[in-house]
Amino acid sequence: MSYRIAKNLDSALEALKEKDPATRIVAGATDLFLQEMPARLVDVSSIEELTAIEEIDNRLVIGAAATHARAAASELIKGRAAALVEACLQVGSPQVRNIGTLGGNVVNAAPAADAAVALVALGAKAVLVDSSGVWREEAVARLYSSYNCSALDGCTELLVRFLIEPCGQGEGSAFRRFAARKALALPLANAAARLKLENGMIASLSLVAAPVGPAPTRLIGTEAAILGKPAGEETWLLAAETAAEEVEVRGSLLRCSAAYRRHLVGILTADALRAAARRAAVSQSGSLT
Amino acid sequence: MEKELIKFMLNGEPVEVYNDPASSLLHLLREKFSLTGTKEGCGEGECGACTVLLDDLAVNSCLIPAGKVNGRSVETIEALSKDGGVDPIQEAFVEKGAVQCGFCTPGMVMSARALLKQNPDPDPEEIKMAISGNLCRCTGYKQIEAAILLAAGKINSK
Amino acid sequence: MPTGIVESPVKIDPRVAFQSPEVWAKVTGKAIYGGDLMLPGMLYGRILRSPHPHARIKKIDIKQASGLAGVRAVLTGSSIVQKPYGIVIDDELPLAEAVVRYIGDEVAAVAAVSYEQAAEAARLIRVEYEELPAVFDPAEALKKGAPQLHAKFPGNIAWERHLERGNCDQAFREADIVVENTFTVPPIHSTYLEPTVCLAVSDPYNGLILHTAVQSPDQVRTIVARVLDLPLSKVRVIGPVMGGGFGGRVYGNLKLYIIASLLAIRTGRPIKMQLTREEEFLVGRPLIGAELKLRMAVRSDGTILAREADIITDNGAYSAQAPWVSKTLSERNDSVYQFKAIKTKVRLVYTNKVPTGQYRAYGNQVANFATESLLDMAAAKLGFDPLEIRLKNCVRAGDVTVHGLQLKSCALADCLKAAAAEIGWHNRKEGRGYGISAAIHSSGSVVFDKNFRGAAALARLELDGRVSIFSGEQDYGQGAHATFTLIAARALGIPAELITIHTRDTLASPFSIGALGMRQTTIGGNAIRLAAEQLREKIVQTAADMVNEPVIFEGGSVKSASGQVIELPAIAFRYYSLTSGLTLVGEGKYVPAESAYDKSGYGNIAVTYSFAAHAAEVEVDKLTGEIIVHRIVAAHDSGRIINHLAALGQVYGGVTQGLGMSCFEGYLFEGGRVANASLADYRIPTSLDVPAIVPLFIEQDDPEGPYGAKGLGEIVQIPVLGAIANAIADTAGVRVTDLPITAEKVFLALSGWECEA
Repeated sequence: MSYRIAKNLDSALEALKEKDPATRIVAGATDLFLQEMPARLVDVSSIEELTAIEEIDNRLVIGAAATHARAAASELIKGRAAALVEACLQVGSPQVRNIGTLGGNVVNAAPAADAAVALVALGAKAVLVDSSGVWREEAVARLYSSYNCSALDGCTELLVRFLIEPCGQGEGSAFRRFAARKALALPLANAAARLKLENGMIASLSLVAAPVGPAPTRLIGTEAAILGKPAGEETWLLAAETAAEEVEVRGSLLRCSAAYRRHLVGILTADALRAAARRAAVSQSGSLT
Repeated sequence: MEKELIKFMLNGEPVEVYNDPASSLLHLLREKFSLTGTKEGCGEGECGACTVLLDDLAVNSCLIPAGKVNGRSVETIEALSKDGGVDPIQEAFVEKGAVQCGFCTPGMVMSARALLKQNPDPDPEEIKMAISGNLCRCTGYKQIEAAILLAAGKINSK
Repeated sequence: MPTGIVESPVKIDPRVAFQSPEVWAKVTGKAIYGGDLMLPGMLYGRILRSPHPHARIKKIDIKQASGLAGVRAVLTGSSIVQKPYGIVIDDELPLAEAVVRYIGDEVAAVAAVSYEQAAEAARLIRVEYEELPAVFDPAEALKKGAPQLHAKFPGNIAWERHLERGNCDQAFREADIVVENTFTVPPIHSTYLEPTVCLAVSDPYNGLILHTAVQSPDQVRTIVARVLDLPLSKVRVIGPVMGGGFGGRVYGNLKLYIIASLLAIRTGRPIKMQLTREEEFLVGRPLIGAELKLRMAVRSDGTILAREADIITDNGAYSAQAPWVSKTLSERNDSVYQFKAIKTKVRLVYTNKVPTGQYRAYGNQVANFATESLLDMAAAKLGFDPLEIRLKNCVRAGDVTVHGLQLKSCALADCLKAAAAEIGWHNRKEGRGYGISAAIHSSGSVVFDKNFRGAAALARLELDGRVSIFSGEQDYGQGAHATFTLIAARALGIPAELITIHTRDTLASPFSIGALGMRQTTIGGNAIRLAAEQLREKIVQTAADMVNEPVIFEGGSVKSASGQVIELPAIAFRYYSLTSGLTLVGEGKYVPAESAYDKSGYGNIAVTYSFAAHAAEVEVDKLTGEIIVHRIVAAHDSGRIINHLAALGQVYGGVTQGLGMSCFEGYLFEGGRVANASLADYRIPTSLDVPAIVPLFIEQDDPEGPYGAKGLGEIVQIPVLGAIANAIADTAGVRVTDLPITAEKVFLALSGWECEA
C-alpha cells in the first residue's frame, strides 16, 4: 500500500499515466475506511490549485479539494451562490466538514450528497483533466452513471475545480434538507433552487431534489409548471404539489417510507424556492446575497 | 502490508515513524506512540471520540489515513498537559462537572480547543455547533457547553 | 502497568462541587480504559458469529484457520467442556454446539498474535449450516406451529406472570369511562461510548483475572467461575475506568468474558477481546422490546380505579436478565398512582433475534411511557386537566401501594406541582404542546437476592492518617466515588481530601450485588457510613487508651480532655505496633430488615423509593410532522442531595437519554438481523438535538437514606418519555403509541395515510 501526497497537479497526473486500476486519487480520503482500500493512493488535498476559492472573469472558481468547512465559511460563495454555503454547513459534523471535500462529495456519487445537490441546482460545471493532459468541462449532473457510481474514470481522470456563474442582480439560490437529527445525519431528502426574478415573476429557474434517482436531478416538470409565474405562496404550493408528483422515490427501513419522502421533496422544494426568491428580491435592490 | 516513512509534527515535536500509510491516524497515535488519550468509540467517524487537531482543525482521526499527515501538524489531548500543568479548557471542564465517564472528554476538549483557536469569543449556539460531532451519552452536553463558555472567558482574560 | 494517577492542580471547594480526583486523569487523557491496557505477550481474540437467525451446525472445519501464521488457538463448542448457563435461565452455551439461534450467535473463537491475524483466521473457519425456519415477531412465536427455539420452553415462553390485585373486573364495571390502547417500544441499546473490552489473564496458581469494566463485578465473576468450573476465589475482576454503563454493563457481555477466559486458559497468554461498534449493536443485549395492551378504568370524578395489561416482551434468542426486567416492567410503574385494582399478564417470548437485557430504568421507563400516555387519554375523555388527574391520584408519603411498596418518603405531588409551574402549565405559549408525567423507582432494591439484601463496606485508617474505603459499588462516571467520599467524610468528620475510595478490585472489596435497583446511594452509601462510623469509634477508643483519658474526635482532629492533640497517623501506628501489622478497620454492614413479600411479589421490595415528575414543552410542524422539543423540566424527589454537581449531570444525561428513546432510538430488524447496527443509523441525540433542560430538586430528608439521600441515577430517564409523548399529543391532536415518535409517524398520524416502508 502506498500513499503519496501530490505537491502539484502535474505530479498527480503523472501517477495516473500508468492507468493502474489499483491507483486512486483521494482528497479527504474519509470514505476509504468505509470501503475497500486501494493499493495506491495519491492525495491531492494539498495542491493549491485544487483548494483555491476565487472569482475569475466573473465566475466562481472552487477547487475540487476545497473542504466543506472552507466553502461554508467563504464570504465569496455566500455572496454569489448561497445554496452551496447552506449545503456545506449541514453536512455531517465539524470534523467531517474539515476533511471532506466538494469533489469527494461528487465523486462518491451518493444520490443525495448535499454539496452535489446545490452544485447541480446552481448549474455548476466540473472541470476535469485526464492523464494525457486533455481538459474538459462537464455539467456536474452528468458525472453520475448509476447508484453510488461515478461516471468519472478514477484511474485516468482528475476532478480539478467547479465553475459557477454567480447569482447577479435579481438572482438568488437556496438549499434545504430534512434529516432525523440535527448533526451526524444523512438527509432523508434535500432540495436546492436557483432562480431569477424579473418584475416579481420567475424568469429563469433551476430546481433540484434528491434522492430521486442516481444523480441529483432537475425537476423539469416542476420548473415548467412555475416558470413565468409570480413569486409567492400560491406558486410555491403549486411547486410543492408538482414536485411531489413528479419524482420517483424509494423508501427504506433505515430512513423513511417512499410516501413520506415524496411528501418531503414537495415541502423542501417549496422551502428552497421561497428562500431563493427572498434572496433574489433583496438582490434586486442591488445588494448581493 | 508495506510500511512507509511518515514524518510530521506531533504535539509540537518533529517525529518520524515507519507505518502502514493506510492504517488510521488513530491507530498510529495509540499503538505506535502510545498516546492512548485519543479514544476509539466507533472507528467510523460517527462519534468524535477520536477527535484530534490536524493543522489546528478538528478531525476524526479514525478516518485519516496515516499517510495523510506527512508534513503536517497533529495535536492530541496529551499536548494540553505536556508540562504537568493543565489547559484552561480542562480546568473549566472539571469546574463545571462536565466529565462523567470521561470517554468522550478528550474528543470534546479537542473540539473545544479547535473552536477557541478560531473563535475566541463564541456564543452558546456556536459552542453547540462545535461539539455537534462529538457524541456524549452521560452528560446531556449542558455542563460541557457551560465549561467551554467558561474556558473562553478564562483564556480571554489572560 | 501505568496507573494514571494525576495530582489535582486546581482546588475545588468540596462543599460546592466535590468530584473524585480521577476526573483530572480523564480530562487529560491519562485515565486507563480497557482498550488502553497492554500486557507483554498479549494475544488478540476474535469471534466467528452465525450469519443465520436459526440453523443447525453440521460441521465446522478449523484446519485452515488453525494453520494461519500467528494463530495460537481456535475454539469451537465441541472442542471445549461446557454446560448451559445464564443469569436467570440457563439457556446459553459459551460457544454454540448444535444450534445457532440468532444472527451474531457465537460459533467459534480465535486467539492470534495480531488483531488482523485473528480476524483473518476467523474468516477462514468453514461452517456448514442447515438453515431452520426462524421467527422474529413475538406474536408469531407464540402461535402453534411456530419454530421452537429451546426444547425446555415449548411455545417459546421463557417466563410469564399473571398478577391480580384487588378486583379488576369489578372496577371496570364500576368505571364511568374506560380507555385502552396498544403501545410498542423496540429494543433500545445503552450505547455507552466505550465499546466492551476484556483482557483475560490466566495462570494455574493465581487463577483468572479479568480486566474489564462492569457495574456488578461480583455477579460477573460468580457466573464466570460457575461456567468455567473454577473456585470463586480464583476468579478476580479488576476494573479499568469505565466508559459509561447505564445498566448495559451490569453483566456486560458475559459471553465475551467467558470466551476470552477460555482462550487465556488454553493459550496461557493474556487475551484481549473487544467488540466493534457494530458488534455492540448486533450482540450487545439491548433493553427488551415490548408490546403493552393497556386498559384503564376511571371514575368521572377523576379517580383512577384499575388498570389491566397484557404485555409481551421480546426475549431474543437467550434470556440473560430479561425475566427480571420483564417483571419490573410489568409492575414497578403501577406504584405511581393509587390504583384500586391491577390485572397484569406478561409473557417473555423467545425470538430468533439479538438476546435482550436491561437499560438504566430496567423496563420501568417502557411501562411509564405506556401508562402515562393512557392516563392522558383518560383525562382527555373526561375533560380533566392532565396535571389535576395526576395530583388527585398520585401516591403520598406513608402510602402502601397496590403492590405493597411502603413509601417512607414521597414528594411526588410537590414534584408535579413544581414541574408544572416551571414549564408554564397554566401560562401556555401559543402553538405549543405541554405534557407531564410522573414516575417512581426503587431506591435500594432488596429483592435481587433474598439472601443478600444489603451491602457491606470497610473503612481503614492508613499509617499516613488517610482513610481508605472499600466497597463493591462501582463508579462509572455518575459520581459514586464522590458521593461515597462525602458520606465517609461526614461520618468521620475529616476533610474529603483525606479519603480514597477503592471499588475496582474484587480481591480487596466486599462482595456486592452491583448497580441494580438504585442500590448504590441508599444501600452502598449506608454501608460506607456505618463502616466510617465504626472506624471513628475505634479511633476514639485507641486514642483514649493511648493517653488514658477520654478523648473527642471533632473537626478532623482527636483531642484529649486535657487538651492533648493525638494525630491520626500516631493512632494508626499505635494499633499497628500493638498487633504487629494490622490496621484499624471499621466494618459497615447495612442489612435492611427482611421484607415480607409473598409468592405473588406483593411486599416492600426496596429500602425506600425515589420519585420524579417531568414536563415537556414541544412544537409540531404540521407540514412535516417535525417535533421541536423546546424545554424539559425535570423535578426530582431523591431526598437530600449529597452532591449537587453530580446530581445535575445525572438529570441532564438521563433526560437526554429519555429524549433519545422518545424520538430517535430503536432497533430496526431485517430478517432477524439488526439493520441499524452503527452509530450512524442508531441515532442518539447530538448537542444540537437537546433542548433546554431545567432540573429541580425537591429536597426532603428520607428516613432511610444516608444523610437523607435517595437514589437518582435511574429515575432520571423515566418520566421524560411520557412527558414528550403527551406534549406531542397535546399540540398535534394525534397520539403516536409506537416508539420512537418520529416526524414521519406524526405526519402519517396527522395525514391519515397508511404507513409502509
